Amino acid sequence: MPVIKTIKKTSPVNYAVALFIILTINFIIPRLMPGDPLQAIYGNEALLVLTPELQEELCRRFSLDRPLGEQYAAYLFSLCRGDLGYSYFYNAPVLKVISGFLPWTLLLTGLASFLSTLSGFFLGVESGSRRGRALDQCLLGGIMFFSGFPDFFVGIILLLFFGVFLSLAPLSGALTPYAGHSGLMLVIDILHHLALPLTALVMVRLTATYLMTRSAMITTLGEAFILTARAKGCPERTVRYRHAGRNTLLPVVTAAGLQFAHLVTGTLFIEIVFSYPGLGSLLYNSLLTRDYPLMAGILLIITIVVLTINLLLDILYSKIDPRVAQCM
Amino acid sequence: MHVNYWREVHTTSLGRIGLGLIILMAATAALAPLLTTCQPSAYTGAPFAAPSAQHWLGTNDVGQDIWTHLLYGARTSLAVGSGVALLSLCLSVLAGCSSALLGGLYDRLLMRLVDALIIIPPVIVAILAAAYLRPNTILLVFLLSAFSWPGGARVIRAQTLSLKERMPVYAARTFGASRRRLLFSHIIPDLGPLLIALMIQDARRAVFMEAGLSFLGVCDPTIVSWGKMMQHALKFVYMDVWRWWLLPTGFALSLTIMGFTFTGFALESALNPRLRKEVSHAGN
Repeated sequence: MPVIKTIKKTSPVNYAVALFIILTINFIIPRLMPGDPLQAIYGNEALLVLTPELQEELCRRFSLDRPLGEQYAAYLFSLCRGDLGYSYFYNAPVLKVISGFLPWTLLLTGLASFLSTLSGFFLGVESGSRRGRALDQCLLGGIMFFSGFPDFFVGIILLLFFGVFLSLAPLSGALTPYAGHSGLMLVIDILHHLALPLTALVMVRLTATYLMTRSAMITTLGEAFILTARAKGCPERTVRYRHAGRNTLLPVVTAAGLQFAHLVTGTLFIEIVFSYPGLGSLLYNSLLTRDYPLMAGILLIITIVVLTINLLLDILYSKIDPRVAQCM
Repeated sequence: MHVNYWREVHTTSLGRIGLGLIILMAATAALAPLLTTCQPSAYTGAPFAAPSAQHWLGTNDVGQDIWTHLLYGARTSLAVGSGVALLSLCLSVLAGCSSALLGGLYDRLLMRLVDALIIIPPVIVAILAAAYLRPNTILLVFLLSAFSWPGGARVIRAQTLSLKERMPVYAARTFGASRRRLLFSHIIPDLGPLLIALMIQDARRAVFMEAGLSFLGVCDPTIVSWGKMMQHALKFVYMDVWRWWLLPTGFALSLTIMGFTFTGFALESALNPRLRKEVSHAGN
């Protein structure tokens, strides 16, 4: 299979190195700033609010008055305990603040990832098997057109059109406040709030899967086994999905993994547009209030989630396709 | 092997639209002072004025001309885009070619680093670094380039490895050509179309990331930027101003990104022999 060659499997060691680089960047950048470490990490605004006792405690916990090497060790050690610092704006430990917002982001990203891969695959199969015909040209042009829009702008357009103009969808939030829904009503309410952000994400993000499936379909349809299937008299749909589509599925799964990082960043921007109470809105807020430890914590958590998902997909991938494990 | 890539790109409709958009945006950015009578920082009218003959797209909340901002915003976007494309291309070529030509331990270590850097999501790290450093445009170009070179380095290394074994390069080596000569007069010219494809890809990503970062508010406050304009306009979405403030800005940004996407796609389909339908050779 020629398609397989274009995919490179990453070994877990690379993930370890990547994680190490990320942690080091996280550690070094605040300390490049002028002023003593506590001021540099927390920012002037935070220092005005934090009590002297708390400042001293933070200094002690992260060994901020020690040499850099010891600070780094203390930083890694506190990370292992899940201690990401203290958010002055929310007046709580960073990890606790983040864990309140994380589920919404996971819900949005998970659904968007699933739906965009599924629809991208389906459209790619249909379009690739009709190469050069009207439907293929329309789909290709249309999807390429949408992929040019940044996610947050698509979000803004949907918000303006469906939210402001037609008043069909809520303008912000993930739940109707104080409605006290339960059971099925709660699910409907959540989906109602989710619809626009999800549509915006799927519209922009299905491109990569679509293009990948389409070009893999074109290659696969030229193979000999497709001719055999046609010669046997298989119906067109069977050839399309069971013979060709199944073979293009593997690169598509990997593409979904690679896309995941883009999808997560897209989600951050979309959440800001829709004031969706996930990590994106929290990040925006922490940037506005200059709550630096919270910001660094959010970005670290997101990176770790992205790396974990990619690692899992990599492992899963060599399980699905033994050929990949052999090329290592 | 020698395919006329230029012809392949500008005869497909996607490629033609893409090139047209890029040229349009570049012209807008270059001719900005001629297309408007205002300065981007000047307060030239009443706040929130509707579009008129004097202010084509009205004015913003402090009475600055939006059309002028739109034109100067193109400069920021394209400057960052082309800066990152050039710088990260240089880094990619340096890493990719040296790794392929020198080989050995150096190659293995460098590629391990590249493999690790590729997994790191660039926007997220860029947000972190930009939030602390509050970069000006030049620092931003360096920052974005630092995260966008690894992908290109891997592609260039693979291509160089295959070019290295081809007949002309082999012949040059038997005549005693130095590594530098091999690189500059035999390998890099043959990499040409691939390098342009990489540059287009990097430029598109950089334009997008610049807009995203300034949309989040991490940018140089003295510079006009489309992302910042959109973030600002989004605060006044309850008024009518979004029609001539938010939408034109968003479309300008989208058209720029589209220009890069379309051209890149047309070039990539020309570069990938399996996707090409019929080949037009050089000199046809």
